[in-house]
Amino acid sequence: MTALISFTIYLFFVFLLAFFANRAGKSKSFLSEYFLGSKSIGLWAFAFTYAATSASGGSFMGFPSLIYTHGWVLAWWIAGYMVVPMIALGLLAKRLNQIGRIAGAITIPELLRRRFESKSVGNVATALVVFFMFFFLMAQFKAGAQIMATLLEGVAGYQSLVIAIESATDGMPWVGAADGDYLLCLIIFAVSVIVYTTFGGFRAVVWTDVMQGIVMGIGVLVMLVLAISQVGGLANATRQLDEMTPPRHVTVVLQSDGPLESEIILARGDWILMKDEEGVVRLKSTELISVGEMESHPVEALQITTPAEIAKVRKLVDPKISLRASLIEEPILYAYGDSKKGVYVHAPGPSKDSPAGFLGVMLALSFFAFWNFSGAGQPSYMVRQMAFRDTLTLRRSMVMVAFYFSLIYFPLVIIFTCARVLLPGMEIHPDRVMPEMAAALTENAGVPWLAGLLVAAPFAAVMSSVDSFLLLVSSGVVRDIYQESINPNASEKQMKRLSYLVTVVVGLLGVIAVLHPPQFLQDLIVFASSGLGACFLMPMIFALYWPRTTSSGMVWGMLSGGAVVLLLYLVGYCINDRFGEYLLLGLHPFIWSVLVSTVFIVTLSLTGREPPAALRERFFGQV
Amino acid sequence: MTDGFRWSIGDAFSKVHGMEDQDESLNLRSSFEQARKEFWFMIVTWVFFAGWTTTYNGLFAKGEPGVPVEIVLGVPRWVVFGVGLPWVVAVSVTVWFAFCFMKDTPLGGEEEGE
Repeated sequence: MTALISFTIYLFFVFLLAFFANRAGKSKSFLSEYFLGSKSIGLWAFAFTYAATSASGGSFMGFPSLIYTHGWVLAWWIAGYMVVPMIALGLLAKRLNQIGRIAGAITIPELLRRRFESKSVGNVATALVVFFMFFFLMAQFKAGAQIMATLLEGVAGYQSLVIAIESATDGMPWVGAADGDYLLCLIIFAVSVIVYTTFGGFRAVVWTDVMQGIVMGIGVLVMLVLAISQVGGLANATRQLDEMTPPRHVTVVLQSDGPLESEIILARGDWILMKDEEGVVRLKSTELISVGEMESHPVEALQITTPAEIAKVRKLVDPKISLRASLIEEPILYAYGDSKKGVYVHAPGPSKDSPAGFLGVMLALSFFAFWNFSGAGQPSYMVRQMAFRDTLTLRRSMVMVAFYFSLIYFPLVIIFTCARVLLPGMEIHPDRVMPEMAAALTENAGVPWLAGLLVAAPFAAVMSSVDSFLLLVSSGVVRDIYQESINPNASEKQMKRLSYLVTVVVGLLGVIAVLHPPQFLQDLIVFASSGLGACFLMPMIFALYWPRTTSSGMVWGMLSGGAVVLLLYLVGYCINDRFGEYLLLGLHPFIWSVLVSTVFIVTLSLTGREPPAALRERFFGQV
Repeated sequence: MTDGFRWSIGDAFSKVHGMEDQDESLNLRSSFEQARKEFWFMIVTWVFFAGWTTTYNGLFAKGEPGVPVEIVLGVPRWVVFGVGLPWVVAVSVTVWFAFCFMKDTPLGGEEEGE
């Protein structure tokens, strides 16, 4: 409850900032202000809006779950971030800002349209931004709802509200099939973000990003100190990790000695002793056993295999539960790492699915490229690079973000390798390891109210990403579709109303789409980042640095990049029967998309008619 | 002759002869070329650090079966030399790049300001 109060105070400040942002932008041109903050973003705002948008729900929810599941190898997986501030901020920013100003553009599709004086370039860019950005929105909404659920769990009245929502939506198509608690949390989260984004526009998004960036930084540092002290020192945690072996996914039945005299409800996450009294399993779902029964239905569970962990979790078994678990099927072993000590402290890291382990050398290299170049190719970052005031702001921001990322990403690896030691069995719901860890650390330290601030960190990350994506999608619709193609003479008042309306509608569509979220948050985020990076990285580099690039080269460069990512994900789905990429020759689809996109742009530009001299001079100066 | 004096003569000359557009175009060209130089520096930097982490970790991150992990500063040794150290160097290069190599450029176009 105390966590919820401190979290509510945090939300209050977010709305306050949106209110002031709305007032601050009143005297400016509406569209430029609403979507780009009048291109006047200074050092702190630029650095933090970039960093906070980058550190999305993926960094604070998906990344911790990967660290927890695969161990220290995630330090290598994320190593590309050491040069992200230089590459992702520096590669395009200066030219992007300059060309954006010369073209008088507010959005990325608009910039491309004017750079090539081609409507088809702008239309293709708009369609691709809206398509891939929607997957991002879905992932962030899911992450936001999950954090909200952790906060509200145990709050008086929450369960009755959940039951009320479930009965109200029962029978409704699509909505009715969603879990009541997820639906409630999703609605609370979505309404908060949609309201402040709609009300405050880009300036509110940037200002709240600054606050959220600071909250994230403080949250991570506090967690770092608490985690290291509670685990008995980092070296101790690493040594314990070295002894660990991956858990096994099992199916069990829960048996009692005789017919039950009263109904038993076992919650997801409950620990149960095995029949031999030696092993321990953790339930993956809620199970109800009725009066008179002696045995449950088959239940999925997680079996811990490390002796030290077993000794630890045996203390967590509720002594009132007399039921014992018996395996009814062969356990599902990790494809790499089962019974193997040291997998959590060495590469390639344990993997449930891949016999080659989690991170091979080629995949590690792919990710080193992915974080940098896919980051540079994200329209949500590009639009920020169009908004900084001058190049001095850019240079200083680069340094500030370099220190900021160092303080965020490496400590996250430390915190969640410690989480493996402190919170066994989180594989039943790895995406929730961040809020669970925040709650556990603060409770152990006797400061439960601090959990509100720590949980606010990932929540801030999710919010600062959702608001940016919302604006990006709505700017695509309002500026690039409506004003450009439907009503070029729309008045300022019409545009204002439409911008508010579209931001709300896009947000609501995101909520509806994510009522039945895909299982893997991080997979969805990597897919959306790859798609956007594939569509925009190489086309934008050529548009900014190669005067010879033609509009047909651009159109096919964007389409081919996106198509390669879609195709390799489709192949991955067909082969693995789950959402995920196909690693052709061990390389991530993003790498292939960059290569294919480059071939299309260069070939079509060189074989096409040279762009007009006036156009080249306008954007590249006199030769 | 000071730069200021040279510029003021240049400005006056441009105004008299309507050469402002040409100056702007030349400035744009030189800022484009500077940006292109910075672009290639960043690509080379990326190759260097990608090479460092991939080579070092490819060789040493796997560990020996049955041999306990070697710990330096509380973390596995390969993390220190394959991720931590290059990270510190990369941040230093970023600082040098931002303050010494990258040049300020007038961004031009419409500037609304606050």
